[in-house]
Amino acid sequence: MTKTKKLALGAVLIALALALSYTERFIPLQLVIPLPGIKLGLANIVTLVALYLFGTRQAFAVLVPRCLLGAMFGGGITGLLFSLLGGILALAVMALVRRTGWFSVYGVSVLGAAAHNVGQILAAMGLMQSVYVGAYLPWLLLMAIVTGLLTGGCSAGVLRAMERVIPRPTA
Amino acid sequence: MVFRKTDILAIALVVVMAVLVALLFLPGKTPGGQVQIYQDGRLIQTLSLQKDQQVRVGGAYENTVTVRDGKVAVTASDCPGEDCVGCGWIEVAGRSIVCLPNGVEVRVVEATGDVDMVVG
Repeated sequence: MTKTKKLALGAVLIALALALSYTERFIPLQLVIPLPGIKLGLANIVTLVALYLFGTRQAFAVLVPRCLLGAMFGGGITGLLFSLLGGILALAVMALVRRTGWFSVYGVSVLGAAAHNVGQILAAMGLMQSVYVGAYLPWLLLMAIVTGLLTGGCSAGVLRAMERVIPRPTA
Repeated sequence: MVFRKTDILAIALVVVMAVLVALLFLPGKTPGGQVQIYQDGRLIQTLSLQKDQQVRVGGAYENTVTVRDGKVAVTASDCPGEDCVGCGWIEVAGRSIVCLPNGVEVRVVEATGDVDMVVG
């Protein structure tokens, strides 16, 4: 793939991720499951797709601008801390797990969602300077299985469709 | 890209993690005696659980902390989401209610100070 094509696709992915994370705020998941900080993690679909199509570095290059722009669009500094720490930890775990080749995109997505929650709770612990926030983690982890499978399924669909457009990467 | 059998292992791994963390934070059966209110990691107020009372915690938002019948709750808040209010009433030592937007933690702890009995 040419550099220009990579850059253009990267920009499209950032815009897509930003739109997804913004749209997500209007899905009242907290009304169904009253857990603080719970969300579908739709933007993770983009991170996952970027990881599979272009590799870790490009996925990182999509993730960080998305978090920064997301903060500018209303997440604030606190939101930035949460999404960055959660997002980077999720990407790190997904990149490592993908490399082992043990799981399909579903398993990678579930572990990524779980890692995202761990990152968020760590951010909350740092912010509150209290370990008690960790008591929420088990519930968030269980929900991560559901949301992770959901976003994993979406990613699998996207990847299947993209196979015809973009050749498989080597990295 | 289809679901593989090994993906169940990934799910199992997350379940095991959830259970382990849950065990770590399992609240005891010890009834609480005091309420500690922290803001941004600093203890700002200590209340007795035995006395019905209501305090307001300022900051970026305002949380109303109510103690009634040996239990405590954040009964009102103007923060977005109001997850702290949604947590309801707590009474067991080790449990806490957190209002992230306001940086507030309401923690129930065992009663300290009054010694009932000294053994040995």
